[in-house]
Amino acid sequence: MQTNVRMAQAASSAVLPCVSLMTDNSPNPIPSGFRSLDRTPEESRDADAECGMAQKGMALSEDEQLLDRVAKGDQQAMGQIFDRYSRMVYSVAFRVLSDSGYAEDVLQDVFFKVWREPHTFLKGRGSLGAWLAVVARNRAIDALRRRKPTDSVEDVVLVASTNLAAESERNTMIEMVRKVMKALPLEQQASMELAYFEGLSHSEIAARTGDPLGTVKTRIRSALITLRKALES
Amino acid sequence: MNTGGHIEQEDLALYAMNGATPAESAAVRSHLDQCPACRAELEKIAADLSLVAMSVDEQPLPEGARQRFMDRIAAAPEQKPRVEVIPIASAKPTRRAAVWIPWSIAAVMALVAVLLGVGNFSLQHELATDNYQIAQFAADSQHAQKVLDVLTAPDAQHVVLTAGKAAPVPSARAVYLASRGGLVLEASNLGPLPEGKTYELWVIPSNGSAPIPAGLFRPDAKGSASLILPDLPVNVQAKAFGVTIERAAGSPTPTLPIVLSGAAPTS
Repeated sequence: MQTNVRMAQAASSAVLPCVSLMTDNSPNPIPSGFRSLDRTPEESRDADAECGMAQKGMALSEDEQLLDRVAKGDQQAMGQIFDRYSRMVYSVAFRVLSDSGYAEDVLQDVFFKVWREPHTFLKGRGSLGAWLAVVARNRAIDALRRRKPTDSVEDVVLVASTNLAAESERNTMIEMVRKVMKALPLEQQASMELAYFEGLSHSEIAARTGDPLGTVKTRIRSALITLRKALES
Repeated sequence: MNTGGHIEQEDLALYAMNGATPAESAAVRSHLDQCPACRAELEKIAADLSLVAMSVDEQPLPEGARQRFMDRIAAAPEQKPRVEVIPIASAKPTRRAAVWIPWSIAAVMALVAVLLGVGNFSLQHELATDNYQIAQFAADSQHAQKVLDVLTAPDAQHVVLTAGKAAPVPSARAVYLASRGGLVLEASNLGPLPEGKTYELWVIPSNGSAPIPAGLFRPDAKGSASLILPDLPVNVQAKAFGVTIERAAGSPTPTLPIVLSGAAPTS
């Protein structure tokens, strides 16, 4: 039952149509025995088909349960987390480093850190997949620029506003971001490329491209606004 | 960077992408401490950027990558440190941190054992007559417990302070627990001090108020020094820590240059 409560809370943070059914912060009009998360697995699958909500709660909770097992030294659970997210982490690292050896170093380090310090990812701070993608990006940039690991910024990895644990939801959003990024004006694409995938500061981008600093900033702001609009629509 | 009291979106994005300079990051962080609106905006930007990361084209894993990972964790199944260590500016931070924590806890446990042993010895001989000794023992135990609490508290901040990249470089590691005003500093490879001078540690508050003197220390012949629980006010959120060289009696305000410094991780 405790697990169910946690899943309900995890689900309630997602901005989705069925959210009011799951919000446990206020008195719930539906008796607990009738809420979808209290159903048997068979019933839950039916509920997922109707709503998709329970599945998202379940998926987030599954990651959390795996992390709890990892904290107890469960290698099989760590293997499952690796299977879920290794391809994405490797792809992000490869995108930045363009070298399979360096990218695998990042892959191994990112997951080894999860193994050694599973609670570095804070529950309720968003999806594990999104967090791992950003940590991989940050580590890869550090490797690219041969600078010290920026551990402290992992605290800034905040993805709580979007629940991307469910694969279907995640894939839809990712597909949208791909389209938006490719449709940006070329100079905005180039600025985002240098900022996000090469880790350059605004002034470094300006020096690289020969554009005024203000222009670089405007391009990055415009790209972010376009992306936000697309995601919010 | 700062317009109408808020941080511009592109500067928050730069911060989220680790592209800001340390000085810019510190300024952003101190603003975020006091501004829920900018924190919310940063959260949104970080969420958007995480999708940008996830939208890269998928690559197949190199052959054997999974096996290499599973072999690696099978070879390192030992209990993980529960206290998160966030080293700054050290060449091999993870490995060094892993060694440091058990060492420091062991050292404190030894200290506790000695204190308890001394206290117990005193009590056996003087319990009936010497209440002062009892009070001293209690204070010692409390002190030792406080040391342990600071070192092991999950919300304690761990910061490494270093001067440069050449090895062996002077470095120091501060463990700071704002809610108890607790601080432990362990320094190594410190240069010798001129006659009549001392190192002084400073807590730089995140609210922008003046640096707080956090104790004096002199290195031994090997350049090592430590500072355990200096007298500090409680609940001062730290933005950074710094070490300066001052006259032997210490100074109420830091004298430049700062010889060692480290930014505290944001909470």
